[in-house]
Amino acid sequence: MVTFAILASVAVIGALGVVLLRQPIHAALSLVGTLLTLAVLFVTLQAHFLAAIQVIVYGGAIMVLFLFVIMLLNIEHQRKEVQPWLRWAAYGVGLVAATGLIVGAMLDPRQVPDHAVVRDTLQGGHPRLIAEVLYGEFMLAFQLVGVLLLTGMVGAVALVQRPRPQRTSAMIDERRKERASDALEAGGR
Amino acid sequence: MVGTEAYVALSAVLFTIGAVGVLTRRSAIMIFLCVELMLNAANLAIVAYAYQWAGTGLLTGISGQTAVFIILAVAAAEVAIGLGILVAIFRNRASTDVDALSEVRL
Repeated sequence: MVTFAILASVAVIGALGVVLLRQPIHAALSLVGTLLTLAVLFVTLQAHFLAAIQVIVYGGAIMVLFLFVIMLLNIEHQRKEVQPWLRWAAYGVGLVAATGLIVGAMLDPRQVPDHAVVRDTLQGGHPRLIAEVLYGEFMLAFQLVGVLLLTGMVGAVALVQRPRPQRTSAMIDERRKERASDALEAGGR
Repeated sequence: MVGTEAYVALSAVLFTIGAVGVLTRRSAIMIFLCVELMLNAANLAIVAYAYQWAGTGLLTGISGQTAVFIILAVAAAEVAIGLGILVAIFRNRASTDVDALSEVRL
């Protein structure tokens, strides 16, 4: 109970940081905090393998990519803000939605299964068990994700690639002259 | 051990904070960060439900965790493409303000 309370408050503070901090770098680092807290919450839910994956893939790869792009584009905090009434409307909608969702979750409290039973069943989300389901029940999804990752990789490279400068005949002539003068210099030595 | 509903409530809070961020930020990269937050909130709910239903059998519990595993892979692809689009937009107009992209609207 205490563990959950601490983890939940850290996660919510991190999430608020993402929304409220002005500098994109600070917001991204705040999100890293939330993601790592979520990894610990996964451990409390007997999903040890997922916790490791969360740290490696999210905390490592994805957030590093984010920070890299923020630094590459060198985005300063933006002075222009959304209209004030829109901001307050968004906060209001968020408050109502969060309250509704929490009440909805609390209205249907279920008996949590015995921790020991779940621990013996899930075995901490052992990679072997996940692999058995991934390559069995989820085979189609697994292959589709493979195709998606390949497509994504090709698409990302195609998006970011600059168009090659067209080689004109003038450029080729110039290059030939350079080569000829280089050869003359080499011969004269 | 706290109940599943506490985890689901935390997930709801994180999801809503992310949604508010999407509504209030202007920079595309900040919107993107908030979308990631929403995605993670959903993951937390799935893992919590996997724990809840693990008592009924191994397959149910592990299926939930495997689904989260696949969502992680999809998120990685999404981030690569999204940031690629962002870099391409930034090159063309030196800004990531989504309101400046109004000619893309239908």
